[in-house]
Amino acid sequence: MVKIILLAVISLTFLNASSFEENCLNCHGNDFKFNMMMKKYTQKYSSEKRIKEAIFDYLKEPTSEKSVLPYEYINRFGTKEKTTLDDKTLREMIDVYYDRFNLRSKIY
Amino acid sequence: MYKSEKQTIFYVLGLYLSSTLLLIATLFATYYFYKQDELMHAEKEILKEYSSALEDKLLFVHENSDEKYEYPRFENFNSAIYDIDKNLIFSKLDAKIDNLDKDFFFKGSNSYYISSLKPHYLGAAYSVVEKKRKPIDILNDLIITALIIITITIITSFFLVKLVLRPLRDNLRLLDNFIKETTHELNTPITTILANIETLDSKNCDEKSMRKLQRIKTASTTISNLYQDLVYLLLNHQISSQNEELNLSEILNQRVHYFSQAANIKKLNLHVAVKENVFFNADRQKMERLIDNILSNAIKYTGKSTTIKVVLTQHALSISDEGKGMSQDEISTIFQRYRRFDKTQGGFGIGYSIIKSIIDEYGIKINIESELDKGTKVTLTW
Ligand code: HEC
Repeated sequence: MVKIILLAVISLTFLNASSFEENCLNCHGNDFKFNMMMKKYTQKYSSEKRIKEAIFDYLKEPTSEKSVLPYEYINRFGTKEKTTLDDKTLREMIDVYYDRFNLRSKIY
Repeated sequence: MYKSEKQTIFYVLGLYLSSTLLLIATLFATYYFYKQDELMHAEKEILKEYSSALEDKLLFVHENSDEKYEYPRFENFNSAIYDIDKNLIFSKLDAKIDNLDKDFFFKGSNSYYISSLKPHYLGAAYSVVEKKRKPIDILNDLIITALIIITITIITSFFLVKLVLRPLRDNLRLLDNFIKETTHELNTPITTILANIETLDSKNCDEKSMRKLQRIKTASTTISNLYQDLVYLLLNHQISSQNEELNLSEILNQRVHYFSQAANIKKLNLHVAVKENVFFNADRQKMERLIDNILSNAIKYTGKSTTIKVVLTQHALSISDEGKGMSQDEISTIFQRYRRFDKTQGGFGIGYSIIKSIIDEYGIKINIESELDKGTKVTLTW
């Protein structure tokens, strides 16, 4: 039983992870900017809850006012498209994003 | 030094000292709190500087690191950061902080300063800096200085009070000397009169002159008695009791004899029942005053041709007359008069106040039984 649950959890995270690659990383790649974006969000929103909420908010309805990126950048490349993902998957993606990129766990 | 003078010195000294000490205490307390406040303020300033140093470092780390973020560490203080929802992000503190609302406080031997940060570098919305608290030990120094000042005040105030009271004292002394001299001079004529009457040859007198002579003698005795009372009251303050084992029986007999003349004139029947060799430890003069006063009161207030009983037992002396007596109210006013002595000094109360002061000194109890038109019985017990 335990084994099955363990397997399920592992496969789920793997699944999540792989879908994160698909859903987000295909555009964002492994570039430093994803890292930098997390820094900006952390700097602006401070706590995990608020960061996730803000990102969710942004991805659902990206506008230049909400963006944490430099004005020049948004001006030049424009905001991204609204996400096509459903809320649940989007939240999962954001969770993965936060888990991988958050600053808090990297402070030593 | 008089008792009253000593008392005055103590009162003035007490008043002066208590007010001065109160002033000193207030001053020092104010200074202490002010100083403490100042030190706290200084402490807070230091912590504020630490806090901004931490903020600078946080910014630097936030901007210049990518993979790992090294939390800024300092030699002279510890710190911690919290996110905007007050969750701990990272801490190097000794203690756990549960309240981020106060900006400056002490906990244990540390002082803390909390400031809110914006932007939230590394996510930090609050920073807490902690430093070993600088001991505020001005209290010891302050107490020592206060003690020194207080001793100086006490010493100077003592001299000051003496100086201020000096004129008063001189006046008192002058008055006292005057009274002493006059009373002394009063003594001589009285004794002369008494002595001379005593030596008068009664055989040379006819009966009429004899009676006049006796009246003169009684009057002189009364004056002498009054004089003794006065001396007692005036000099009492300075004369300490010279207590000795007195043969009370002998003294009583002497006093009765002394008043016998006065009793004769009123045709009183003196009924004396004195137990032999009753001893009592007291000052001779005072015991004489005590007996004289009670006895002379009895003689004064009893009617003509009545009986005065003087009874001495081992532990009691009672003197009773058959005079007009006193009502219960009057008896209680006598006692009041004793108490009021200081205010109604002189006049009627002299005899009673002397009685009162002497029985108080020797712990003798007094009991006055009296019935109107029947007589009064004064009983002393010890
Ligand atoms: C179609 C390509 C594409 C995909 C897929 C994509 N993004 Fe983006 N993303 C972008 C671009 C372009 C920007 C920069 C423009 C902007 O910020 O609007 C961006 C910006 C962001 C930002 C910065 C927002 C800001 O405040 O400016 C975040 C955060 C982000 N993406 C998260 C995600 C996450 C999480 C996913 C996966 C669910 C994801 N993105 C999927 C293209 C993509």
